[in-house]
Amino acid sequence: MRLNLLRLSLVLAACAQAAQLQVQPEYLRTAPDGEIVPADRAGAGRTAPEAARPTSLSGARMGYVSLQLIVKLSAPGEYSLDLTPATGLQVDVFREWYHALDGEKTHYPDALVPVRMPYASRLPELDNRIPDQKAQAFWVDVWIPGDARPGEYHLQFRLKSAEPAAEVTVPIRVLAATVPDQDVVAIDHNSYGSSWIGDLYAKKRESAGAAFFRSDAFFQLIHAYHRIFYEHRGVFHQLGYGHAGKVGPEFAPALEGTGRARHVANWELFDRHYGPLFDGTAFTGTRRGARPIPFAYLPINPEWPASYLWWGQPGYEVEFVNVVSEMERHFREKNWTSTRLELFFNHKKRYMGFPWDGDEVRFPEDNRYFREYGRLLRKAVPNDSPVKFVFRADASWDMEQQSRDLAGIVNMWICGDGILSWYPETARAMKQRGDIVWFYSGPPRVTQASAKITEFPLQAWLWGIDGYVHWLTVDAGQDPWFHFDGGGTALVYSGERFGIEEPIPSVRLKIQRNAVQDLALLDSFKTQRPEAELRGEAARRFNGSRPEDWWNPRPPMADRPATEWTNDEIDAASAQTRLLLAKTEADSWEKVHEFVMQLAEVVK
Amino acid sequence: MTPGRMKAILLAWLAVSAVPAANDSFIRELDDAARVATVMVDGDVCRKIVTPRAMDYLLRNDPKDPFLAGDNYEVNYDAFDSVKKTLIRLSRLVSFPADANLWMPVPGHPDKIRVVIRNVNELSQFWPWGALYQNMIPEMKTVLDTGQRVTVAKKPGWVSVLAPVSDSLGDIVAVVEVASQRKLDPQGNVK
Repeated sequence: MRLNLLRLSLVLAACAQAAQLQVQPEYLRTAPDGEIVPADRAGAGRTAPEAARPTSLSGARMGYVSLQLIVKLSAPGEYSLDLTPATGLQVDVFREWYHALDGEKTHYPDALVPVRMPYASRLPELDNRIPDQKAQAFWVDVWIPGDARPGEYHLQFRLKSAEPAAEVTVPIRVLAATVPDQDVVAIDHNSYGSSWIGDLYAKKRESAGAAFFRSDAFFQLIHAYHRIFYEHRGVFHQLGYGHAGKVGPEFAPALEGTGRARHVANWELFDRHYGPLFDGTAFTGTRRGARPIPFAYLPINPEWPASYLWWGQPGYEVEFVNVVSEMERHFREKNWTSTRLELFFNHKKRYMGFPWDGDEVRFPEDNRYFREYGRLLRKAVPNDSPVKFVFRADASWDMEQQSRDLAGIVNMWICGDGILSWYPETARAMKQRGDIVWFYSGPPRVTQASAKITEFPLQAWLWGIDGYVHWLTVDAGQDPWFHFDGGGTALVYSGERFGIEEPIPSVRLKIQRNAVQDLALLDSFKTQRPEAELRGEAARRFNGSRPEDWWNPRPPMADRPATEWTNDEIDAASAQTRLLLAKTEADSWEKVHEFVMQLAEVVK
Repeated sequence: MTPGRMKAILLAWLAVSAVPAANDSFIRELDDAARVATVMVDGDVCRKIVTPRAMDYLLRNDPKDPFLAGDNYEVNYDAFDSVKKTLIRLSRLVSFPADANLWMPVPGHPDKIRVVIRNVNELSQFWPWGALYQNMIPEMKTVLDTGQRVTVAKKPGWVSVLAPVSDSLGDIVAVVEVASQRKLDPQGNVK
C-alpha cells in the first residue's frame, strides 16, 4: 500500500557522506532540505504498527499508482538518476518544482516538470535558485494498462554522483481489478476566456504575431489544456463571454444582421476550437482514449446571440431562436451529440452589465429571466434533437427556492457547498428528477495538507451528487516560481519556462486524480456490498466521520428570505462540516485508498 | 465665477487640449455620440435605476463581510433597461466598436462616483474592475460642475468623451462616458 512506502523509505547509504535515494508515498511532500513539509507532517508515520509488514504499491488496471522519489546529496554536486522500468507498465517521471511562497520563507513542491530517464542534473538545481537545496523530489506515475498481467512488477531506480551510488527497488503489485472507465464524480476545472493563454505562452504568441489567437498553435494550446485535465480524470471549462456580454471570437460563431436577418455568418474559429473537442479527436493518443468532452459552455448570454437592445421585444426572440436553431442544426449535422452544451448565465448585476443576476441568484424576482430563457431554448431546439442542450444555473443564496421554482427548466445545478450542505432533500429532489448536480469551491493552497484536495470528490460522492467545480484552475499568479501565491486558483502551470509549450501538471492534480480513480473503483463494488456500507467506511477512514456528518442541519435562517441573510450567518450555519474538514491530514485519503485496495484484492 | 467653477473649466480645457486635434474622426465620432447622449438620456430615469436599499448598502464597510454591498446590489429592471437601451443605441452611432457607460455621483458623497450601466465591450478608461463606487474622477467632476463635454485620452490608444445628463429640473445628475480603443483586443474582457 502507498502508506507503507513511508516505512519502505530506503536510506541505502550508511554513512553521512553517501547519496540517498528515498521513496515517499504520494501524500508526503518534501521540502528542498528533504524533510516533510509542515502541512503534511501530521500525516506522516501514523500507522507505525503496519510498518513492519513489508508491502508494495498496489494498483488496479487502467489506473495509476504514484510515489515520490527523493534524491539527496550530502554535498553540492552533479548526479544522475536512472530507472529500469518494468515491462508492461508505463512510467512517467516529473521533477518537482519548489515554489518560493510569497511573504513566507518556505518552499512547497507543486509544479511537475516532465523529465526523461536517465536524468542528469545537480544539487542545488540551478533554475530553482535555492542555495541550500539538499534534496530533489521526483513524482513517479506508474500507469497500469488494461492488458497488464496481474502480479508483481519492479521499478529499479539508481542514483549516481560523486558520492557512493544508491539504488532502490519499488515493487508494484498489479491487481486483477480494473478501474472503471467512467468516473462517479466529474471534477471540473474552470477558467475564463483565453487571453491568459497569450500571457502564459509569450514565446508562442510572439512567434505567431498578431494572428496568434487565430493560429493553430493557439487552438493546440486550448486542446492541450483539455487533454491534461482529461488525462487526470477531470473536465475543463472555458467560459467564453464577459459580464456585460462580450463574446470571444473563438467561443462563438460570427454573426451578421439584425432582427429577422440575424444569422450565423462564419463557423471557422468556433469549429477549429470545438470540433476536435466535440468529436474527441483532440484526445487521440491519450491513455484514456479519444472521446468527446462531456460538457462545454455555450456562448449564450443576455447580449448574445440576441442583442439586449431588443430584450422584451419581438426581435429578441427572433434573434435568439434563429441563431440557436442554426447552432442546433450545425451540431446535429456534425454529429456533435455527445457533449452537454450548457446554456449558462455568469453575470451579476453588481457588474452593471445587466439588471439581473445570472450567477448565484439572491433576488427571487430574477428567476423570471430563467423561465424566459427556458422558453426560448425550448422554442429553438426541437424536442427530438439528438444535440444535448442543458440549462445550467450556479446557485447559492436562493438555491432551495430556485430549485423548486425552476424545476423542469434548469437541469444542471452548480451549488455553493456551504448552502447545499443544509439541503440534502434539495439535492435528492434534483437528482431524482434527473438533473445534474455539482458543487463548487476552489483548489486548496499548497500550504494545506496534501489530501485536502481529495475532500471534494469524496464529498460529492458521499452526497450522492454528480460532481464538483474548481472555480479557477489556470491562474498561478504573476510569478508562481519565485513569488508564489499558494496556488488557490491553479492546478496546472505553463511549461514554457522549461521549454514545454503546453501546460504541466501539479502534485495536487495528481493526488486528486488518484482519489477520483479510487472512487470510481470503490463505487463499482456496490454490486457486491451495500452502497451505504461503502460510503460509511470511506467516511470513517477519511476522518472518522459518518456520511451524515458531511451535511449541516438546516438552519432557522433558511426560512427567511435569502435577501436578509448575511455571510456571517451562512458561515456559522456551515460550521459543522467546516470543523469536520479542518481535521483532514495528509494521510486521510491514503486510508480510503487502503480500503479500496482491500476490496480490489478479492477481484479475480 | 467661483474659484471651484474656474478650476473645473480649466480642467476641462486641459483634458480637451490633451487629445489630438478635433479633425481626428475617431474622436469626432465619439464626441458626436456623446453630444447626442446629453439630449437622449433621461436623468429622471437614471435616478431610479439603483434601488434605495442598494444605495443604503453601497458605502457600508463590514470588515467581516467584504461582499456586503455587492451582495445587496440591485436595480429597478425597467429603469435600467430603458437607459441601457438608449446607451446601446448611442454606441451604434459610432462606426467602430464603442461603449456608452452611465456614471452617477453618490448622493451625500461629492468625492465619490459610481458606474451604473456598462455595455458589451466593457470599454472604460475609469472603472477598476468590480468597483461599486470609486473616488471622484476629476474630469467627471468637471462635467457635473460645468455641463461641458470633456474628452479624455489618459490611457494610450483610448478615448472617452464625457457628456452631462440632466433631469427635468435641469440639474446635472449623471455622466455618459462614450469610450473606445483605437486598437481593440478581441480577447480582452472575456472573463
